[in-house]
Order: sequence, then C-alpha cells, then structure tokens
Amino acid sequence: MKLSTYEPDALPPGARSLSYGLFCWLNRHTTVLRAIGALLRRWPAIGGRFGVVARASAVKDVLERTRSFSNTAHAANMVSGDYLIGMDPGPTYTADRDLVHERLDALDVPNASDEEARKRIAILQAGERTFDLIEGYLMWVVFHAMKPLFGSATDAVVAGSTDQSAQGAVDEGLQRQYMLEIRYVAGQLLAGSLATLELRRRAETCGDALQARIDRVTGPIGTAWGIKSASEDIERNAVGLAWISHPVTVQSGALVVQELLGRPKVYDQLWLRARSLGDRVWIDADFRRDVRDHVLELMRFRPIFPLLARDVPRDTELQTGARQNAKCPGGGKISLLSVAALFDPSAVPDSGRFCPNRNWGKEDPLRYLMFGYGYRQCPARDHAVDILTSALIGLLTLPRLQLARGEGKAITYDGPLMLSMRMRIT
Amino acid sequence: MLEIVRQQMVCIVAPGWSGGARLSEPCRKALDRLLHDVAVVHFASIGLLPAVAGAADKRPSLLLELAVEEGFRPYDLLYRLVYHPDGAMWALFGSMIVPNVAEPTAQQKQQLLDKLMSWHSIADGGFVGARDRSVRQIEMEKDLLDRARVEARKLKSKYSNDRAAFALALSRWAYANPDFGWAATPAPRSYWRGKGAGIGAKLIYPVAAIVLWFLLLGIVWTLPRASSWFFGAPGEVGKAIEHVITGTTECLFTMSWHGLLALGIIVFLVWLFLVPLPAQFVSWRRWLNSVQQELDRPTETLSSLATYVGGWVIGVPVLLAVFLCAIAYTFAPLAYALAPDYMHQVIEPKLPKLTGLQITAIAVVAIIVVLCIGALFYRLNRYFTGASRTFFHPLEEDVPRAQQIHPSVERCEAELVDGTQHMFSLTELRGPQWWSAWCIRAALRIVTFAGRVFFTRGWLGNAPGIHFGHWHIIDGGRRFLFCSNYDGNFGGYLDDFINGAAVGTTLAWRWTELHPRAPALEGQPGIANARSFPPTRFLVFRGVKCELRFKSYARDSMLPHLYHFDACNRTVDQINLATGLRDALFGERNAHNDDLIMRAIET
Repeated sequence: MKLSTYEPDALPPGARSLSYGLFCWLNRHTTVLRAIGALLRRWPAIGGRFGVVARASAVKDVLERTRSFSNTAHAANMVSGDYLIGMDPGPTYTADRDLVHERLDALDVPNASDEEARKRIAILQAGERTFDLIEGYLMWVVFHAMKPLFGSATDAVVAGSTDQSAQGAVDEGLQRQYMLEIRYVAGQLLAGSLATLELRRRAETCGDALQARIDRVTGPIGTAWGIKSASEDIERNAVGLAWISHPVTVQSGALVVQELLGRPKVYDQLWLRARSLGDRVWIDADFRRDVRDHVLELMRFRPIFPLLARDVPRDTELQTGARQNAKCPGGGKISLLSVAALFDPSAVPDSGRFCPNRNWGKEDPLRYLMFGYGYRQCPARDHAVDILTSALIGLLTLPRLQLARGEGKAITYDGPLMLSMRMRIT
Repeated sequence: MLEIVRQQMVCIVAPGWSGGARLSEPCRKALDRLLHDVAVVHFASIGLLPAVAGAADKRPSLLLELAVEEGFRPYDLLYRLVYHPDGAMWALFGSMIVPNVAEPTAQQKQQLLDKLMSWHSIADGGFVGARDRSVRQIEMEKDLLDRARVEARKLKSKYSNDRAAFALALSRWAYANPDFGWAATPAPRSYWRGKGAGIGAKLIYPVAAIVLWFLLLGIVWTLPRASSWFFGAPGEVGKAIEHVITGTTECLFTMSWHGLLALGIIVFLVWLFLVPLPAQFVSWRRWLNSVQQELDRPTETLSSLATYVGGWVIGVPVLLAVFLCAIAYTFAPLAYALAPDYMHQVIEPKLPKLTGLQITAIAVVAIIVVLCIGALFYRLNRYFTGASRTFFHPLEEDVPRAQQIHPSVERCEAELVDGTQHMFSLTELRGPQWWSAWCIRAALRIVTFAGRVFFTRGWLGNAPGIHFGHWHIIDGGRRFLFCSNYDGNFGGYLDDFINGAAVGTTLAWRWTELHPRAPALEGQPGIANARSFPPTRFLVFRGVKCELRFKSYARDSMLPHLYHFDACNRTVDQINLATGLRDALFGERNAHNDDLIMRAIET
C-alpha cells in the first residue's frame, strides 16, 4: 500500500501557480501546442537541446525504446500506488498485464455501453433540456461498460465493504461519490509534477481513500477474478484498474464531444445520418464504423495526453530527426509532444484537415498514438474507442445539442481536467 | 501564501449540541480509529462552547478543532473524514443532521458534509512549529531516531569519543538497513525553509515588484514615442493622448522615486537608531532598553507613566512629522503636476532653502543633542539614587483575587501531562466589534506572515514548543477563539509568549474582553465577572507583560476538551531532532553532521 508522499512546495510562492496555469492553458489550447510542435518538427535540433521530440518518427522511436525511455516518469504522479503504466517491464509487469487482458476479455462492449447509453438517453429526453455531459451521461456509460472489470465485486468496491447490507445500500449517490474519488486520482496523472500542492494533496487523499476501500474488499475481488494471488497483488491491480480505466475514458469522451461541437458541419452530417437511420442507429454497422472513425479523428485533435514524459535511466541518444542525435544524460527526463506527432505531414497525409476516413496506410498504428505506441500501448485501446463510439451514437440520437452558454461557463475546468460540460438540447 | 497556513488549522463550530458533557467511549474510539487511519491529522480536539449571549438557542456549540498537514482544502479534508467507512463523523455530528439514524445514506453523508462546510472556519491566523512534516514522516523519523539510539549504544563502546568514526559507523548502519530506504532523500523543505531561507530570497519579491513597476512605467512612456517612430507624427488627438501619457508616466515615475527615497531614508533612520547607535553608545542602548522596559512595565510607576506621557508628547508627534514629511515629499510631484502655479508661487517661498551640507549638519546636531539628553539622564540617575528609587518604585499589582482554575480544565491538563498540552480559549470581541475584528485580522495576518516567512525553525519569535497555535473569529465576529497544542505546561507556555512573542500576543488579544457567561453544561467553567485584557500602550507594549493579570485572564477564558487526539505525541524539539538526524545520517560526512548525530544520540 502506497503511503501519501507529501512534499511541501519547494518553489517560490507564485512560481508554481504560474507554471501550472501555463501548463493547463496549453492543455486546453492544443492548437498552441500544435504550433509549437510544427516549429520543433521543422527544427528538431532545438527540441533535442531541451529534450523534446515532436516528429512522428522520433515519438514512435522513443515509445518503442522502452528500456532507454522508461514509463517510470509516471510513477511520481500515481498517488495510489504503482501500476502497469508506471512500471518497467519485468515479471510483475508481465503478470499484471496478463491479468488486465483477462479482465478486459470479460468486458462486453459495445453491447453493455450501448445498453447504458440508451438508458441514459431516455432519462435525458424525459428530463430537463440542459444536462451535464460528464456527470449526467458519460460517467455512467463508461461505469456500466466497465463493470465486468470487478464483476461480482463491483458493489463491494463501491461500498468499500464486504458487508452484504452495505453492498445492498449501494445507490447512484454512492457510485457517483466513488467515481469522483477516482477522478482526482487520475487527474494527478494528467496534472503531473507541476500540479499545485492543494491539487496534489486532494489526489493523495482520494488515493488513500481508494486504497482503503480496495484493501477492505480484496477477498471478494479475488473471488470475482477467480485468482488466488497475494492480497497486495490484487490490491495493486484493483486500485490501478479502478482509477485508470474510468476517469480517463470519461475525460476523453468529453474532449471528443467538445471538439465535435466545435465542428458544426461534421456534427450536422453525423446527426442527420443518425436521424435518417431512426431505430437502426444502434445496429447499423456502417454508421457505427463511421462514428468510430470520427471518434478517433476527434481524439487526434484533442488527445487527452498531448504531452508525455519519459525517464531516461541511463545515458543515451535521442533521434529527433535532426542531423545529429540529441544527447540524453541518465537520470533526466524527456518530453514527447504527441499532439505534434499526430499532425506530422510526413506521416499523416493532409494532416491539418479533419478527415475521419483518411487512408493511414502503413502508418495505421500511429492513428492510435493517443493510447501510446508499440508494446506499451494501452491494452484497453479498442474497448475505450468502442465505449466512446456508443456514447457518441447515443448523443446523436438526441435532438440537436449545443453547449449551454449564457448561464455561466458551459465548461468548468479543474486544472487540465474537465469537471463539467453543460449541454443544452435545442 | 497565507491561506495554505490558515487552512492547516480548521475549527468546526456546530451550534445546538444536545449531547452531554462527555463523549461516549465508542465515539472516542471511532474517532481515534478514523484519525489514525486517515493519517493526515496531527491534532484534533473537541470542546463545548457556551451559547452566544442573547442567542435564542441556549444549547452549547460543539467545537471540533483539526490541525492537519499542509495543502488540504477544507472540503477535501472533510470529504475524507465524512466518507470514511467507519462513520465516526456521523457518530459525532449525525444527530445534529438527521436524528436517530445510525447508518447514513450517501445523500445524508453529503448533507453532513455540506453542513460541516457551512460550520467550518479556517484560522484567521496561525503558526505551525514543526512544519513541512507529515504525520507519517514524523512517525518514520521517530522510528529512525529510536533505533539509531539503540544501535549507538552498541557502537559507543567501540568508538568511544572518536566522533567522526562513530558517526561514520552509525551512518553505515543506517544505509545498510533496508527499512530506512526512504530516508536517503533529504527531508522535504518548503521554499521559505529551503532555498528561500536567506535574506536575499526574501528581498527578491519587493525588489522584483519595484523593478517591474518601473519597467511598466518605462514601457508605457515609450509607447507613444515608438508609435511616432513607426507610423510618423500623430494628429491632434494623438498628440493630446501622447501628452497625457507622458505627463502621467513622468509624474508617477517621479512619485515612485520620491516614495522609494523617503522609504529608504526612514528605513535608514530606524536602522541607525536601533542597530549602530545602540551598538556604539552604551548610554543610547540603556536609554532604548529603558524606554522599552518602561512601556512594558506591568506596574504603575512614575517612570512608566512619564515614559508613556513622553511618548505621546514627543514620540508620536515626531513620528507623525516624519511620516507627513515622507508623504508630502512623495506626493509633491503630483501637486506640481496639478497646480504648478500655486506650488511655485505659494508653497516654494515658504520652504527653507538648505544645502545638503546644512541638512546633514542639522541631523548630526540633533543626534548629538539626543545623546546628550540621554547621557544627562543617565548621570542624574546615578547621582540621585534616592530620587531614582522613588521614580522607579513599583506600585501594587492590581490582581483582584487569587487565581482559581476550574476543575475540568485542571483535569484536562492532568490527562495530557505526559504528552502535548492543549488549550481552548474563548473571549469576546471589544466593541465596536467590526473594528476589533478588522484589527485582529490585520494583526493575525502579520503574525502568520512572519511565522511563515521568517520564523521557520519552530520558534515563534523567541517562543518555542508551539505545534499548532491558531486564532479564529467566530459567531459572526462576536467571539474570538484561540486553540493551541504546545509542549510543556500552561504556565511555562504563557511565559514563553510573555517573554518570547509579547508583541504578537498583545496584538492578537488586546481587542478582546471577557463577559459573564454561563457554563456550556454542568461541570463546565463559566465566567462570573466581566474582565478586560490587561491595558496596553501604543498597541504593542505592556499587555501580556502584566503577567499575573494576563495569566488570570487566559485562565478564565479557558474551556476544557472532551476529546483530544495527538497523532505522534512528540515534542517540537524531538521532531526537529529526528529530522536533523535523518539528514545528518544520510548527508555528507562532515564535522557539522557528525556533531548533529552525536547530539541527537545523546539528547
């Protein structure tokens, strides 16, 4: 069990707020990051000097050299303990990865996500004309699609208790509270080491609470998973699965919808097609494939991790694309401007244009760069895209949507995290 | 920056407590379990506050004091406490939300959380002694210290007095012990205790602000000229705008320089009077000490009264004159800009025309005169000893009765005799209450700022042993609550304040008084007679120096606790010692670290 790693702020007062504010602003304005990326692609030697890569070839190269550029850069921001995403390859990594694949095989997507999306859409249609996309829709679609991750132990995890009466008392209020808790744990991964002390402490508190919750129910989780591992192994995996699966998918979904609403023509086309399909919208394979392509393309414009970091465990060199490799001293860090790689014209034809049906050719794996690349790519990649596809199809069945402006801000942020996104059904 | 300190000390004042004057044992145990499990709360205490005078509801308020690690927003902290599966917070406050519900629903928990948020108050000012340390860190460092001491006993016989060899051997032992892997990284320090500990880092902020201000003025002044250079000469409107911008920026520029110069001269004079002159002239030093002693003197003597009157007759007018001169000099450019003719024709002829040499000569003569007066009084003092004794003869201390301590307060102190002591003090704000509240808040912000930036080694001024001391203005600005967790005993603690942080303490409490009040419940202390805080002079003098009256006042204001939680049960010195040992054992081997190890082991 990881203990809170409280460290007071060693930066001068004001410096952290300033740097964190800039980081959040850049995260929300990916066009600025893309512009910086374009400059670094043009002159990669400059990026190399500062340990930043932007070209698609360089980013892929870094992500494939897992021994030279380690994922342990994430570890410091994983406030509820170690998990796959922050581990170096090894026996624990392999065993945990196998377990994740097993749990992912238990998911029934897109059927489960379709079912929940339809249910939630019916509730939204019957309710008021404004709703919060995150708390009123996406959160639940993703939660129900991912329920098989914990199987029969889901209620025990939510209640944080093995007591049957406590599990019986699990309602949407408790589920919502659980989902808010894991959101802040995931938020720390997104906010990174620049996060202010208050944000970090909140994440640590939620991380502690999540660990305490899982610690009480490792028995039911082990039973649900059908394994007899040591309780700390079950706890590590259960905690990791809890916080990384749900919030990241929900945030991605919100970013996808935000980007789609910013492209009225694209939204109109999809919406009209959904309308013409009527009840067949959920079963039409062509439409689903098309929506899936749109989801991926929208994610390309709004990746949840536009910037990635990697540790450099020992002295090495970095192929930035410049004439000479950049030196990377051991013990340092490098940054990957993945959003720039997704717009690299040398790898992505007509990269600046929104084109869901683009022929990626041999660069098809690059299309999923927002999920990582190569061996360390997110194992739940396809599941996440399927869930988001279901969620988007559901939203397309509603009358036309727009951001609910005019009643305060439609989108509220908490650092780089989107807290709420109020929508209006017109 | 101050909010992060203030948020560390939270009080929840829940009105309408209908329980008894004791907490049930299961409730206390549940709270212990909760606070240990959450592991971010250093101290927690529960007490009862008597109802506010004149309130319709005569039931007391339940007070929960929490002193926690740095960086928590109250909502996040309370969220963690309320949603903890053990449900201790519901056991404590639940009956005030929905009576007779043992197992709350998620909605009821949220209701409790919302209520606690509406009842909570972060400290208006506070000081943290052993800062930058988490509960877990203190416990781990305590373990390191205890085990290092055991190991040191074994090594001592081998290395005897060879300090370097002994420290090296102990350091090797610590390095080789896998349990202490965490200690290899130096103990974390916040900016003001780390890189910002030097005076240079503290000066950067005002210097940067001044430089940025002048830079901004320079840029604004340059803009119209740059525009003319780029786009050619402006039209009539453009010229008018250029004229206004130029005039305003030049005026602001001059005013800023004047203000800086005036401030510089005042700072220089203060420094001159308080540092080099006392260092060079014994008589000056004695005179300064004498003035301070007389202003602080708790008893009414002729000397004390004379100094006080002298302060009003000479000191205040002189200070006001200096202040007004500085203001006039700073704003003179504005007056010249707004009414140049009046300034040239009316004001200027009235100003004395003195050269720099003449001004310097006057200043030197003034200082010599002051020194001579001091020396004269010093000699008079020595030659007329009889008159001097009469002059300084103390009158009787005005203490109306022998100090009585309520048994409940005594019992609480006895309970904590082996650990960190705790104090609740509740007073009323003097009228007009809005003015008192404003003054107290201003004073507390200064104390908090000084504690955060300057007093970073665990001492507030010269007062040691304070873990968490915090002040809250509660009940809509009517009452003033002070909570403290401190080492030692109450008498010693107040002595530390009286001798070590008199100015801050007087500033914080001088706007309070004690009104008669009924006990919160039977067995709790009440106040029979109204009392005032000991009289102060010039805001910061005397006050707490009236030792007996101040202690009596503090005692009368105290309330007992019903529950007290101390996560680590270590003194501030022990905490600092353990952190020092960690850094010394795992730091580089040098004489300083070797000495620190030796002291940590032998203390």
